[in-house]
Amino acid sequence: MDGKVVVVTSGKGGVGKTTISASLGAALALQGKRVAVVDMDIGLRNLDVVMGLENRIVFNIVDIIKGRCKIKQAAIRDRRIDNLYLIPASQSDDKNAIKPENMVWLTNRLRKEFDVTLLDCPAGIEQGFKNSIAAADEAIVVCTPEVSAVRDADRIIGLLYAQSITPKLIVNRIVPEMVKNGDMLSHEDVVEVLAIDLIGLIEMDDRVVVSTNTGTPLILQEESKAGMALQRIALRLDGHPDLPIENPMDKKSFWKKLGSRFSRKN
Amino acid sequence: MNFNTLLKKLMNKGNSKDIAKKRLKFALLTDKLEIKTDTLGNLQRDLVEVISRYFEIDTESIKIDIQRSEESSALIFNTPILSAHRQRGIPAA
Ligand SMILES: Nc1ncnc2c1ncn2[C@@H]1O[C@H](COP(=O)(O)OP(=O)(O)O)[C@@H](O)[C@H]1O
Ligand SMILES: [Mg+2]
Repeated sequence: MDGKVVVVTSGKGGVGKTTISASLGAALALQGKRVAVVDMDIGLRNLDVVMGLENRIVFNIVDIIKGRCKIKQAAIRDRRIDNLYLIPASQSDDKNAIKPENMVWLTNRLRKEFDVTLLDCPAGIEQGFKNSIAAADEAIVVCTPEVSAVRDADRIIGLLYAQSITPKLIVNRIVPEMVKNGDMLSHEDVVEVLAIDLIGLIEMDDRVVVSTNTGTPLILQEESKAGMALQRIALRLDGHPDLPIENPMDKKSFWKKLGSRFSRKN
Repeated sequence: MNFNTLLKKLMNKGNSKDIAKKRLKFALLTDKLEIKTDTLGNLQRDLVEVISRYFEIDTESIKIDIQRSEESSALIFNTPILSAHRQRGIPAA
């Protein structure tokens, strides 16, 4: 059976698309899938460093499209996680070097080799976005609980619907303390405004920065809340759509924990 | 309610997230009302077609416009009615 192609997109930059693409790729591969993660940001590649594979790049996606190499030659195998591959973007080409029909051609070949192909979409709604959605079966829209990010997400969702893709939403960088204090939109607010289904909620997590510093997969870091959330999103993406979404606000407060300690003793 | 929210309530300060949500909803609405120029023209043509089944209208003096204020947006359609058609309208389904 052919694999599926999932685009991770947002409109706004800096909301976590690359972080999420890298981690979902790793999580899916650890779950036993053959996974390719593709950097669609021609001219401004980043996925390679986030995945810690930057010094192994020989060929890139534009080389594949221009026929300068085979797909196998450009796909970098992750040596830490079996069945995880990166297809890097080109750093020197113009973003118009690839056209939507090229992506349809490429993904049709990737579908034969990989169970899941994740496309890390660049910010904006121009060529890179058009290339990414032209080839996608499914979409994950990422936003943070901020006015500008949610507004951009709404625009992207409209464009995806126009392509007959019904996206799922990730709200990233949630700070429960701020939500509690009424100084950050809650994920319920965001869902109400955007009116699409959630696939996951990710907290603000210092471990993300540590993992990007060292280029080690976030989901291999013990005790990373974001990493755990991403593992569960990977499960939902692949065969377990009904796995409950944990609410970052549900964390037991200090007092409740203390309370339950006492009640256990009694 | 935790202490900070309580404090804010006591000091009669709104939550910044409520402001965010209000601004967001308004931005999304106006974004969607920012329609392509030919959309209004198409809408006018369709409206004239439907209304003409019921009334005889002066197709020349029709005005269609979107009016925005800070609080709300309205689609304004203004047409003089010349006469009402008898026994017409949408055929029964
Ligand atoms: N859940 C999170 N917690 C903390 N930092 C995050 C989280 N998600 C993303 N970041 C940080 O936000 C920045 C932007 O993330 P990135 O994945 O590059 O976004 P995008 O690809 O959408 O531009 C990076 O510095 C990344 O480390
Ligand atoms: Mg990115």
